[in-house]
Amino acid sequence: MSEGVSPPGKRSGFTFSIRNPRDFWGGLVLIALAIIAIWASRDLPGQRGFAFGPGTAPRLFAGLLAALGAVIALVGLVTDGPPIEKYKIRGPSFVIISILAFAAMVRGVSGTLFGIHLSFPQLGLLPSTFFAFMISILGSTEMRWVESLIAAVAMTAFCWLLFVVLLKLPFQLWPSFF
Amino acid sequence: MSELLANLWMGFHVAANPYNILFCLLGALVGTLVGVLPGIGTVATIAMLLPITFGLPPVGALIMLAGIYYGAQYGGSTTSVLVNIPGEATSVITCLDGHQMARQGRAGPALSIAAIGSFFAGCVATVLVAALGAPLTSIALLFGPAEYFSLMCLGLIFAVVLAKGSVLKAVAMVVTGLLLSMVGSDLETGAGRMTFDVAELADGIGFANVAMGLFGFAEIIRNLELPSESRDIVQSKITGLMPTRQDLIDSAGAIARGTILGSLVGILPGGGAVIASFAAYTFEKKISKDPSRFGRGAIEGVAAPESANNAAAQTSFIPLLTLGIPPNAVMALMVGAMTIHGIVPGPQVMTKQPELFWGMIASMWIGNLMLVVINLPLVGVWVSLLRVPYRLLYPSIIVFCCIGIYSINNSPTDVVIAAIFGVVGYWLVKHDFEPAPLTLGFVLGPLMEENLRRAMLIARGDPTVFFTRPISAVLLSVAIIMLIIAGLPKMRRRRDEVFVE
Repeated sequence: MSEGVSPPGKRSGFTFSIRNPRDFWGGLVLIALAIIAIWASRDLPGQRGFAFGPGTAPRLFAGLLAALGAVIALVGLVTDGPPIEKYKIRGPSFVIISILAFAAMVRGVSGTLFGIHLSFPQLGLLPSTFFAFMISILGSTEMRWVESLIAAVAMTAFCWLLFVVLLKLPFQLWPSFF
Repeated sequence: MSELLANLWMGFHVAANPYNILFCLLGALVGTLVGVLPGIGTVATIAMLLPITFGLPPVGALIMLAGIYYGAQYGGSTTSVLVNIPGEATSVITCLDGHQMARQGRAGPALSIAAIGSFFAGCVATVLVAALGAPLTSIALLFGPAEYFSLMCLGLIFAVVLAKGSVLKAVAMVVTGLLLSMVGSDLETGAGRMTFDVAELADGIGFANVAMGLFGFAEIIRNLELPSESRDIVQSKITGLMPTRQDLIDSAGAIARGTILGSLVGILPGGGAVIASFAAYTFEKKISKDPSRFGRGAIEGVAAPESANNAAAQTSFIPLLTLGIPPNAVMALMVGAMTIHGIVPGPQVMTKQPELFWGMIASMWIGNLMLVVINLPLVGVWVSLLRVPYRLLYPSIIVFCCIGIYSINNSPTDVVIAAIFGVVGYWLVKHDFEPAPLTLGFVLGPLMEENLRRAMLIARGDPTVFFTRPISAVLLSVAIIMLIIAGLPKMRRRRDEVFVE
């Protein structure tokens, strides 16, 4: 369709502004996602006779997604919309780091990243909960230390009560080297 | 009729089992507790609490989840009345008159009328679910793979058209969900698909991780950005919970009308409960002798939408239990929970596991009763919860979610996946994409693909089969017509108006 028209329009200098950046960039990301999906399923066998292969449906839906993404991006060029809200850094990153830290601490990780051997000991459920709480609370601009420490201990106790005592889930509670 | 009664009797037998009553009670309580917390809507509540139901027997787990659902909704209306912060979209309209009543010192009657209206609506809707269950199921059992595929398309389109936001973007989200659901082993050949050689992805992306990330973590990150709002909590002590005789007389009609409207709208996929509460409020205002009272603490303005949204919440179980199609995000979570317990939602549930089907229906009624009996006396507790500052609340939710996800498979990778979906959810919000259609596509993905493949195999690879089989053709045409109507400029404007209000 008129899909081919949009890239030159976009590149025709910095004077051209995207009228609905939320839709435009959103659409482009969807296209990228579809391309990744097609690339990831490139080795899967497709249609054989009447039967769908494992790769048929992913390619089918990825193609559909790419088309939809293109239409969304195109609509983003021809209609007006609000600008993209600023991404905040502090809150989201502390939250995500705390979740990742929980994942790393609760079981411990070891692996090789870029040739460097990294390992993190298993801390067990209770320290992991406490530290994850403390890391995530740093994301708030209104954080107060004393109050936070008390709340972290209380929440750890609550989780222990709920998941370990009441639901009887088999967790390692303390560090393995203890 | 007698069969219906016998079935309901069996259901009550299951639901009245002491353990199941306990699960129902726990669900309703915990649901209200989390639902009351500011900034956490119904879907996020259910997503957060999913893991703690996984250790239970299937019937108990679903009963508890249903309890959590009603509890969360009820919690939402409590905050609407007391703080003027709607817990979620369905109780937005309750703020208008509910909070005004609270400011006039009539928070008690507002809350109890909301509870009574919800309970009445729940009773009616329970009977409706039971009555419609059998006939719809028998229709669904006649469906072949082609019809089923078309039905799922129709369900998804309906859900997209009746929900808020751009239809085009919602369809894109559905397709994204479908695509994500294909990660993992192929059902027929076992070939790993799009797993990027990550061993943990071989079983696919866990549904709970997606739900927790998109609804739990993303919502928290999003809330952190908002300036800490000044909460206008009604400080005065709530005296006199019971409504006066006049209140009851005034609201009786509104409750009945709200119930009928809500039940009808709720069966439709999409934001059924949201539309129901708006429609009920508008209708009451229209037929009222003195419309100017609305917005100034008219009790009908609380009774009608609250009854309607509860009726709709309950009748939205109908498409799920009979056809296996989740009409909204909450029901998508239910599908996820059922799948984890090894139950494939759909017409087979009723024939193969009647005790689960009827037990759940009966427990809806019990759950509603519990909300009236337990929650009203606890209003004071809920109010004190609202005073917990968000800066302490959100880390608690995060660690709770982390442990919850980790507990499902004892897998740290699941926690990482949820974190990724948290970031995805945050990005989606920034670009005005709704996460709900993605979830719908994600849970329906495996079923859709299976039926598509089977239909194509039976038709010897002829894709026109979807249009040559009459039922399938009708379903698909309706879906296409819906899409076209929603795309018409005039309808688009009307739709925007409805959802902006």
